[in-house]
Amino acid sequence: MTYTLRLGSLSLQLARRNLLVGLGLMLLVLTGGFAALHMGSFPVGAADLWTALRGDMEDITRMILLDHRLPRVLVAVGAGAAFGLSGAIFQSMLRNPMASPDVIGFNAGASCGAVLAILLFGSVRFVLPWALTGGLLTAALVLVLAWDRRRGTGLDPYRLILVGIGASLTLGATSDLLMSLTDEQRAADMAQWLTGTLNARNLTDAALIWGGLLLLTPVLLWLQFPLSRLTMNDDIVQGFGLHLAGLRLVITCVGVLLAALAVSVAGPLPFVAFVAGPVARRLLGTGAPVLAAAALVGALVTLGADTAARLVPVVQLPAGVFTAVIGAPVLMWLLVAQFRKGAL
Amino acid sequence: MSAQPRLAARDLSVRFAHNTVLDQLSVDLPDGAVTAIVGPNACGKSTLLRSLARLQTAGTGQVILDGQCIASQNSKSVARRLAILSQSPVAPEGLTIRDLVLRGRTPHQSAWRQHSVEDAAAVAAALTATGLDGMEHRSLDTLSGGQRQRAWIAMALAQDTQLLLLDEPTTFLDLPHQIELLELVRRLNHQTERTVAMVLHDINLAARYCDHIIALRGGHVHSQGSPKDVITETMMQEVFALPCTIIADPNHATPHVIPT
Repeated sequence: MTYTLRLGSLSLQLARRNLLVGLGLMLLVLTGGFAALHMGSFPVGAADLWTALRGDMEDITRMILLDHRLPRVLVAVGAGAAFGLSGAIFQSMLRNPMASPDVIGFNAGASCGAVLAILLFGSVRFVLPWALTGGLLTAALVLVLAWDRRRGTGLDPYRLILVGIGASLTLGATSDLLMSLTDEQRAADMAQWLTGTLNARNLTDAALIWGGLLLLTPVLLWLQFPLSRLTMNDDIVQGFGLHLAGLRLVITCVGVLLAALAVSVAGPLPFVAFVAGPVARRLLGTGAPVLAAAALVGALVTLGADTAARLVPVVQLPAGVFTAVIGAPVLMWLLVAQFRKGAL
Repeated sequence: MSAQPRLAARDLSVRFAHNTVLDQLSVDLPDGAVTAIVGPNACGKSTLLRSLARLQTAGTGQVILDGQCIASQNSKSVARRLAILSQSPVAPEGLTIRDLVLRGRTPHQSAWRQHSVEDAAAVAAALTATGLDGMEHRSLDTLSGGQRQRAWIAMALAQDTQLLLLDEPTTFLDLPHQIELLELVRRLNHQTERTVAMVLHDINLAARYCDHIIALRGGHVHSQGSPKDVITETMMQEVFALPCTIIADPNHATPHVIPT
């Protein structure tokens, strides 16, 4: 079932299944968010949130809710959505489920920038701009190396994935090297950061990721149109009169920006960008890119992983451990599914 | 040829590295006719077709569409007049026939205008023309080779262009499906006066279904004209190095190649 929306020169198509799945995922994220506010070593009723925001509350509960849990939940949902979007964008554009930013080096670049910042300044305070710069520089480098000047189509998807994996390994090793060069405290900070963690996030982090998402929303709304065409082969895309090279450049920039933003507030949470797209696509049962659903799946996975990490008693585990625990089996399932179809 | 046709190549050369694929070649695609481009493997057939659709940049010379160099025209505007279906096209997994055909409307659409009344009408017409009515919700992966090829043709038809280029549309199809597809092309040409050009391997089918034949050899045009004029024993020998006898097809009186 599809509905067609026509208003003057605006015309869009909505499938009922997409609407229902989208609403369902949104409900899950909201419920999960409230549950995460409620759960923890110091139980706070979710109903207390409104009281806390109004200011009529004892200091300790208010502090836990507004200074600890709320920013953390907001950052988890925002960063998860950004990872999910970035992954779905690259996987669709490069027509390959392996092509997510955590595989092709963009996350590794952002991490390397962050590690460098911790090494230079001795604290995690300046990580943000450095992670952003690291991610963007890596993307620029990978793009330059993978750009094919002889062809009008710009990027060769396979070349980009290969160059990206190379960059990812090199940058990962560089981060390890930097970690071994420093004292124990800094090395521990770096290790925690490199796994991806949402410990001690504040409202500034939340504002950064949500502001970024808000600014990119119009671009993302436009993006789904060319992106759904880019899932077809180059000759067809160009035959439709689309400018392949220009589109690929713009879309890569948007994807990198999303990934770098997410990494700079949540660390390089493994597998979130990787699993969100394929899971969303299975839920919707469509061959079209599924940006909104991928964002919601990414948010849900990250929120779930962080809440699970928070609830483990005694040690403060980084959320990245849990996204890896969820993500790795999904990766294997994807590979096996592709083997079965003979696609690999 | 009286007037300048809508689509033509003039002194067109294409080089890949140091390999000249097309060498100063000039061809006309007669308006309202079905043209076949034939020739041995690696003679530049596909490159010629892709150049005519501005998918391949010309080294020297040019492709003329509606009196102007195609490379200097807005690509989207070209796509509203000329559709090309490339060899072995790829669609994402799980795409339905209807969504595929709707994508053919891309040159008429934008991010804010994705399903206009015209789009719906063009998709319905393309589905009917290709006999895919009632199958539009099936996923492309579940179709037979013949059905899938018809779905791709429907996508190109939905683009609603007067010029239609097909790169080896019959490859991977068995003989009955090849005939079915070429009958479809012929019918479209008769009913809508679309100009069609396609790369074909089977000379006998080309002779039967096409009005105009372009025979290529080593990046040059060997001969072009009606099937009777082009398909000769000399051409078969010079272009394909195939000794043969040519008889009149007993059913259609078109030239028929019998290798000796």
